[in-house]
Amino acid sequence: MVFIPAWNEAEHVPDVIGGVREHLPEADVLVVDDGSRDGTAERARAAGARVARLPFNQGLGAALQTGYLYALREGYEICAHLDADGQHPPAEVKRLVAEVAADRADLVVGSRYRDPDAAESDDYTATITRQIGINLFRFFLSLATRQRFTDTTSGMRAANRRVMALFSDRYSPDFAELESLQRAVREGLRVEEVAVRMLPRAGGASFLTPVKSAFFIFKSLLVLLVGQFRPRETTGGSE
Amino acid sequence: MSWLAVAGEAVATVSGPAGEAAGGEGGSPQVSLTPQTRVLAALIAIAFTAFVLDLIRRHRLQERYSVIWFAAGLAMLLGAAFPGLLEVVAGLMGVRDTNVALFSLILLLLLGLALNFSIIASRQAEQITRLAQEQAIATAEEQAASAVSAVGGGAGEEVRRPGDGAGGSQAPPG
Repeated sequence: MVFIPAWNEAEHVPDVIGGVREHLPEADVLVVDDGSRDGTAERARAAGARVARLPFNQGLGAALQTGYLYALREGYEICAHLDADGQHPPAEVKRLVAEVAADRADLVVGSRYRDPDAAESDDYTATITRQIGINLFRFFLSLATRQRFTDTTSGMRAANRRVMALFSDRYSPDFAELESLQRAVREGLRVEEVAVRMLPRAGGASFLTPVKSAFFIFKSLLVLLVGQFRPRETTGGSE
Repeated sequence: MSWLAVAGEAVATVSGPAGEAAGGEGGSPQVSLTPQTRVLAALIAIAFTAFVLDLIRRHRLQERYSVIWFAAGLAMLLGAAFPGLLEVVAGLMGVRDTNVALFSLILLLLLGLALNFSIIASRQAEQITRLAQEQAIATAEEQAASAVSAVGGGAGEEVRRPGDGAGGSQAPPG
């Protein structure tokens, strides 16, 4: 089962759905519409996906949690998700799913930086603040988890039921990616990165201004710090 | 804390002459209010408590959040009735100036209250999010149940069956 968190992505979402159905024809596709106002839900339905529509915008974390909860409830063995803006090639998602299916990891994250050649060749010449943020995140997450991560904010992942149980139970609404990886590792799940190719952003530049991204970095690191002192939940809680 | 002390002094200078006018009461005439002030304070306290009661009556305030406000009204009433109480409290705190004691206590109380509200707001935000998610999932399940034929079956995955409700009137869109 593949889910796509989408917020005002009516333009791209049909193509993403089409791509997923082409490359992963056996998977059910769910679009989690995070309170869009541009007809994302209607276009997703028209493209043949199931739609879980949140009545108002809740943030990416809440949308992802919805997807994990749905996968858990419906009894899927494996779920994967990718961004709705067309940056994530569905063919790469298939590779992540294969890793989980082979039981080499509980959670597999697609990293656009794992392969240095690919990072250079694509249009990933990041701004300075972005680069600082990326490196800070890498450093602190690696420190916190004692595991090497290159792409800490990747929104392309595949997961099994242990991860579904963990993430559907609780998922930070705002600072989703970093904290979720930290928690997964803390709970003893096997988290693995796989090098993937990502496409340049289709529509416009990143929405983050330098001030905003600095604030985002600060908040994320704070969350990471707090996370280090959180009590562990009893287990991953599968079944 | 310095501005606290300043505020305390400002009030002290205001209440000073009034205390002399009232002629003092008890041993040390630190806390002393004119009868007018005390009556006014008592009236405000009673009006406040009545207002809280009215809010509950009109379902604008839930009982479980009202306790603290009753306590505040009662404290105001007590302060008006027995000004000497404040002196006792100040003595317990080891603060010489009763005004500083009063302001510190009120500030701490308000700080705690504000934090309490943030906690309540966070909890409710979480509940609202979960509610929205449940509703979204229910809709998606409904859609899946009514349009099973349109969606491919899963390999190695458990796919929902239309078991309940015999399909649906809703045709798959597109």
